[in-house]
Amino acid sequence: MNKSFGYPIIFMIIITVAFTLVLAYLNHTTTEAIAYNEEVELWKTLLYVFDKDIPSDEPKDIEEMFNRYVKEEQVGDETIYYIGEGDGIEGYAFPISGTALWGTVQGYAAVSGDYSELLGIDFTSHSETPGLGGRISEQWFKEQFRGLELDAAMDGKYIIYRPAPDGNVDTIAGATQTSNSISKLLNDDIHEFISNRKGE
Amino acid sequence: MVGDSPKKIFKMGIWDDNPIFKQVIGICSALAVTNLMLNSLIMGLGLIFVTAFSELTISLIRRLTPKHIRMMVQVLIISVYVIMVDIFLKAYYPEMSRALGPYVGLIITNCIIMGRCEGYAQNNPPISSFLDGIASGLGYTIILLIISFVRELLGFGTVFGYQVLGSWWTNWTIMVMPPAAFFILGVIVWWARSVSEKEGEEGGATNQ
Repeated sequence: MNKSFGYPIIFMIIITVAFTLVLAYLNHTTTEAIAYNEEVELWKTLLYVFDKDIPSDEPKDIEEMFNRYVKEEQVGDETIYYIGEGDGIEGYAFPISGTALWGTVQGYAAVSGDYSELLGIDFTSHSETPGLGGRISEQWFKEQFRGLELDAAMDGKYIIYRPAPDGNVDTIAGATQTSNSISKLLNDDIHEFISNRKGE
Repeated sequence: MVGDSPKKIFKMGIWDDNPIFKQVIGICSALAVTNLMLNSLIMGLGLIFVTAFSELTISLIRRLTPKHIRMMVQVLIISVYVIMVDIFLKAYYPEMSRALGPYVGLIITNCIIMGRCEGYAQNNPPISSFLDGIASGLGYTIILLIISFVRELLGFGTVFGYQVLGSWWTNWTIMVMPPAAFFILGVIVWWARSVSEKEGEEGGATNQ
């Protein structure tokens, strides 16, 4: 029987269907939990770029804090987040993205309400080399961007790596390509955001 | 058909036939996830789970499986369990899922699982196969934990995230980077082989 032509095919079909059903069921029962986790992650990222201390890692606390401070606004097909009201807007957060060495880097950046200062940046997804370019998601790298001056006279060159003159950020040794891509995507996206907002 | 005794299976998996330093398989992930002990532990637990249940399943259906498509069946079963681990981590341990990133999905390419399924579960009864999966996974996890202990201690001054070395300690950046795992792994293979060679001479056993 094992030698027949049809048996292996039928066997494979039965096995595939059986295991796929198991996975489909598992996937179905966990979809909500996973979606919630991803939302919590986004809230955490946004609170981080606004430099708001997160009271704890409990999803409930993060949700509460996010709802208290952060508001959403739809601009075109992008969602912009802001804190504060009316004239007292403390800052805007907007998505940033660009290509780096191995793939697309995505994240958020926040600027102050008068567009004069970079509040913070964070990356939500990237595929840079772990231990080298992957270090862009480490605290020491991201923290460097807090409070950087954004001056219109800079003509879109806000991030300059040391030791170049006027350098304001340390690059990652051994990850030149990634570092350069990050400064490019930050400069471009911040510049675009600010000029769009001011042009309104 | 009676399988091997559990004692023998565990001795083989953890020492005599240890996947890392004897068979030298599953090295890629041993280099990648050993920068922190917690990552290594979760990776090890994931691998134990996947290997044990894949071996169990494959052993259960081994008489029904046509010989020439057995590899396809093995890959299918292994990937099912890997996806289960991935979903489980995403839903209940999102932090861990992010820390391990693509490596969870890559458990499927870990040669240990395929190797044990093909080399053991295909010819042995279910319970023995299940235990063999746990034993091989344990052998892998123990080595990973040893490597990550050294790397985390020297690279961050911590053990499982707890600071053990004071502020006088200067972190060794090399330990955080993948090459460090090469050196430590090399030393472990060297040590383990020289010990087991001596054992072989004294006991007169020939396991080479």
